[in-house]
Amino acid sequence: MTNPADTDARKVTSLGSLPQSIEPPHDLWPGIEAQLGDVPAARDGALPTPRRPLRMRWLAAAAMVACVATGVWIGRSLLPGTPGSGMVAHNEQRPPAAASPPNTVPHEVYVSDPRYQEQRAALVRELQARLAALPQPERDKVSASLASIEKAKADLEQALGRDPSNALLQELLVNTYQDEMRVLTDVHEASDPGRGI
Amino acid sequence: MRIGLCLAGALVLSLAGTAASAANDQTFDRQVPAQPHGVVEISNVSGSIEVSGWDRTEVSVHAELAGGSEGVEVSSESGHTSIKVKQPHSFGHSGGARLQVKIPKDSELDVSAVSADVRTTGVLGVQRLNAVSGDITAEIAAADVELKTVSGNLQIKGHGQPARLRASTVSGDVHLEHVGGDIEAGTVNGSLIASLDGARSVRAHTTSGDLRLDGTLARGATLEASSISGDLNVHASAEGGFEYEVSSFSGDISDCFNATPEHTKYGPGTHLNGTRGDGAGHVRLKTMSGDVQLCDRH
Repeated sequence: MTNPADTDARKVTSLGSLPQSIEPPHDLWPGIEAQLGDVPAARDGALPTPRRPLRMRWLAAAAMVACVATGVWIGRSLLPGTPGSGMVAHNEQRPPAAASPPNTVPHEVYVSDPRYQEQRAALVRELQARLAALPQPERDKVSASLASIEKAKADLEQALGRDPSNALLQELLVNTYQDEMRVLTDVHEASDPGRGI
Repeated sequence: MRIGLCLAGALVLSLAGTAASAANDQTFDRQVPAQPHGVVEISNVSGSIEVSGWDRTEVSVHAELAGGSEGVEVSSESGHTSIKVKQPHSFGHSGGARLQVKIPKDSELDVSAVSADVRTTGVLGVQRLNAVSGDITAEIAAADVELKTVSGNLQIKGHGQPARLRASTVSGDVHLEHVGGDIEAGTVNGSLIASLDGARSVRAHTTSGDLRLDGTLARGATLEASSISGDLNVHASAEGGFEYEVSSFSGDISDCFNATPEHTKYGPGTHLNGTRGDGAGHVRLKTMSGDVQLCDRH
């Protein structure tokens, strides 16, 4: 039995300071075994106890599905478009180095917002103009980076196709979309005439 | 009276400095008064920009002009100094210059370049350095630093002072030496290498480039690094140790303290979680297909 005074005196500053396991003061199994033996009798008495874990499991499953659905909706509705949606579809002068690999995700799920599509198309048009103005070696470098992003997105989407609820993949995909927008914005800002560049 | 004379003198010098040099000049030299904690803005398309901090309260500009440039415009007013290499109006010419600029060491520095390489030394104030394809090399102190380039490389030399550093490039490499404080760095397909010197917060990511972090973390520091297909290699010690969470979808995870990675219970992937020392800090490493190596020694 834990002394309350001891509990108050002990301050937990991190998870690491907690014990890995707590041994019970005595062997609990005989009591558990006895209660397991009483379960049929309890059901006969219409006790609600056995139903509660089942309901909790259903609630947990529903919550998980809701979380996954929300994540997928955020990922597919609010985040920037697929390789096919902007970088390719709105740019017929795209450098060969930035060609995207086949995508396993339907094109439409990424381009539901027409305003976003317009803004993205404008950014891509500007990007192409600036790329065309760069010397060939620099253009090749930036095109290779864009191709890397396209490939990363395609790989992640393909992996998510096999494991849609994988939180690691979802997080990395979000990071990759952010990287893509950073690249587009960086090139756009670098080409802003108001900055004298 | 004395202040009035100073202001008048500054105005005269400012007007004199504003006059641009003729197009055919091969070199350009100008000195203008500046405030110790003023702002200095420099822009140049091609060539190079070298900035160094000094103890004087004036800005010195020396330029070697390329054939296409139309001169250098220098102005100084109310603690704000502007140095701009003028571009030819005709399309297709990209004039540039090799600029050597000395500024009061506590100045706030703002540099914009296209293909010009940028180098700073001895500047203690805030630095914002931007380039498109030029490389950026900066010596930093304890002030905030933001460096951004599209296809150029970034190289930062710190002295372990706690600064807030943001460094990003699209296709270049990032190399950070003896950096402390709060660090955020990223590249797409370049490599990212950093030696940490008492860093408090580190966020680093690449898409396909490899990432290597060595050095020391401050007590209670956080380190987050991720890559899609690049390898992560972290050798960092921290006073008070750290909790670690390492996960990869298809890459291998290894460590130097004999912990064993576990396969994800549902679906593919492996992870390695645990605590080193007191677990005061926190380390999170994530990849999709890149390998991860973690060590609490450097």
